[in-house]
Amino acid sequence: MTNRILLVEDDLALGQQVVETLSRAGFDPHWVQDGDAAGQLDPDAYRVIVLDLMLPGTYGMDLLKRFRVKSEVPVLILSARDDTADKIRGLELGADDYVTKPFFPEELIARIKACLRRPNLVSTKLITVGPIRVDLERREVSHGHGVLSLTPVEFEIISLLARRKGSAVTRDALVDAALDPAHEGSRRTLDVHISRLRSKLGEHATRLETVWGIGYRLSEDA
Amino acid sequence: MKLRARLALTLSLATVSLLVLLGWAQSRWHSQLRGEALAEAAVHRMESGERERCEADPARWPGPQSVQRSERRPGPPPRRLPPYRIFAYGADFQSLNPENPPFPPELASRLEAGDDIAASRSPNRRRTEVAVRMPWVEGPCSVVLMRAKGPPKWFSGAVLMPALLVAVVMILVALFAAGPIVGRVRDLTESVRTLGSDSNERIHVRGNDEIAELGAAFEQSRLTIRAQLESLRDRETALRNYIANTTHDVMLPLSVLQGHLVSLQQRIEAGETLDVAAVVPSIEEAQYLGSLLHNLNAMARLESIEGLAHRDSVDLNRLVERVVERHRPIAIRKHIALASAVPETSIHFRGDLTLLEQALGNIIQNALRYNESNGHVAVVLRGSDDAWDLTVVDDGPGIPEGERKRALEPAFRGNQARTRHPHGMGLGLHIASDVARRHGLGLTLRDTDGGGLTVELRHTGQEARRP
Repeated sequence: MTNRILLVEDDLALGQQVVETLSRAGFDPHWVQDGDAAGQLDPDAYRVIVLDLMLPGTYGMDLLKRFRVKSEVPVLILSARDDTADKIRGLELGADDYVTKPFFPEELIARIKACLRRPNLVSTKLITVGPIRVDLERREVSHGHGVLSLTPVEFEIISLLARRKGSAVTRDALVDAALDPAHEGSRRTLDVHISRLRSKLGEHATRLETVWGIGYRLSEDA
Repeated sequence: MKLRARLALTLSLATVSLLVLLGWAQSRWHSQLRGEALAEAAVHRMESGERERCEADPARWPGPQSVQRSERRPGPPPRRLPPYRIFAYGADFQSLNPENPPFPPELASRLEAGDDIAASRSPNRRRTEVAVRMPWVEGPCSVVLMRAKGPPKWFSGAVLMPALLVAVVMILVALFAAGPIVGRVRDLTESVRTLGSDSNERIHVRGNDEIAELGAAFEQSRLTIRAQLESLRDRETALRNYIANTTHDVMLPLSVLQGHLVSLQQRIEAGETLDVAAVVPSIEEAQYLGSLLHNLNAMARLESIEGLAHRDSVDLNRLVERVVERHRPIAIRKHIALASAVPETSIHFRGDLTLLEQALGNIIQNALRYNESNGHVAVVLRGSDDAWDLTVVDDGPGIPEGERKRALEPAFRGNQARTRHPHGMGLGLHIASDVARRHGLGLTLRDTDGGGLTVELRHTGQEARRP
């Protein structure tokens, strides 16, 4: 699918900066400075629309309404006004998210990627995290070297982490899902199970990261 | 036109109209009485010997006649009759006297219709004609026609003077009676005028009538206007504070930022090789500036109202994700691990989206700002819609227990020095604390196991205070 992103921003310096940021992140930005001109475009030709609210010509909210009539393309609002009414109205009109100015370029890219990957929860029966494959239906976990021999507790732990791949999961949530929370020393027991899981994952053990203050994460990046 | 003059004029017009109506009625009544009196006089005169004379010589009766005057009659005082002339006719309304005027057809038809007396006015309204059928029906003198000068005046002198007197008295009474009303209206006018200079002066009008109701309406308006004025004054004060605080607070980090940039320029000019870390303080200062402006904005809004201006359903999972992503760039640059965890099912909470974001952002920013390189900050949301807690855990320097309460207070208020304290003792944690209070959330500060600070926002399911 195309990586084309529509940027509607009237400020020259900021627009130029965002275009460069998007290009560096591997997107193909199309920059429009005027609300009226943006209204003439086909929103479905883009993966994401980044929309400033205070525009010459058509106001950003009106543009959003117009886009929503004919398209479900994710829309990210850029707003200089830190105003609740604006944010709520934008979200009610169908915006997927908003970023308040000033923002770091990385923040904008992170929000765009978040728009693209929603919904966050994985609902398929077969989840792939790098070389690790978790078959929720057959209750099997495999990697390049074949199927792993896991205990039921270890499978529950890795399946929860796989369902929420890339996100940190708290120890409490893992204990709730895989162990008896009433059992004394559940947290320490969890650490033991994690340690065994890492041994079984072998060279891919680094994907099962410890997240300080939270718990664990199954990372998509090696 | 003044109220008194308007009232007097209205009463004058009403009185004049009434007098005209009475005069017209009096004239009609006089006219009827006059006709009856003339008819009675004619019958009496004919029965007193004139019939015989008339029938003896109808061609010359009554002879050369001057205008007849009223005659004295026995009995009660006679009604005063106008001067009149008399003519005799037969039953066929023909006269044997060639000098008599022809009988008026209108009167003839009325007598033929059965009336014994018929009266009419001449077309020029200058005389009255009365036809009388005599008690006998035969002979040349069985019908008599009388002519008298015009109808009576509407207002005779005897009626005119009392009528005018009544009119004058009524106007005077009206003017006198209007005095208290005019006085109350003047009082009301004065009170409303005073409102411009002193909105605390109460408007009170005595009584239980429309003027009192008008006064009560003005009083209600005064209270509304005063409330609006106070609200405007509060807003103006908040705005002034905002501008003053912004100017003061922005200058400091701006100066620091300028200093960083100048220092970088000088080091580059000196040929020094700079690593990435040299730029981090400038970036951090720029981020601090943005955050400061958001905080001042939030502070101005919090000071302008009690409670909350907005209460919408907020997706806390998305909120945590958004705020953490906002701070991740600075965490990466400072080599601090920033991570977050939210439950699988989104937690929703009714609150002010901007203020909640600002509160969490301030807590995370403090955790990052005062932590060291290779430190950690974890943001964890747990629970459900009914009860949840949001904790920001760090392994930074922490805040000594004795200073935690002070850390939540607005240290800068009333303090012209407004120095930037460590541990966020400026606006950040105070705003977080205020936002938590307004949402009915608990905010606690405690030590992190192994060192550092843990800030917890907790919703126990208790209903937050409504705005």
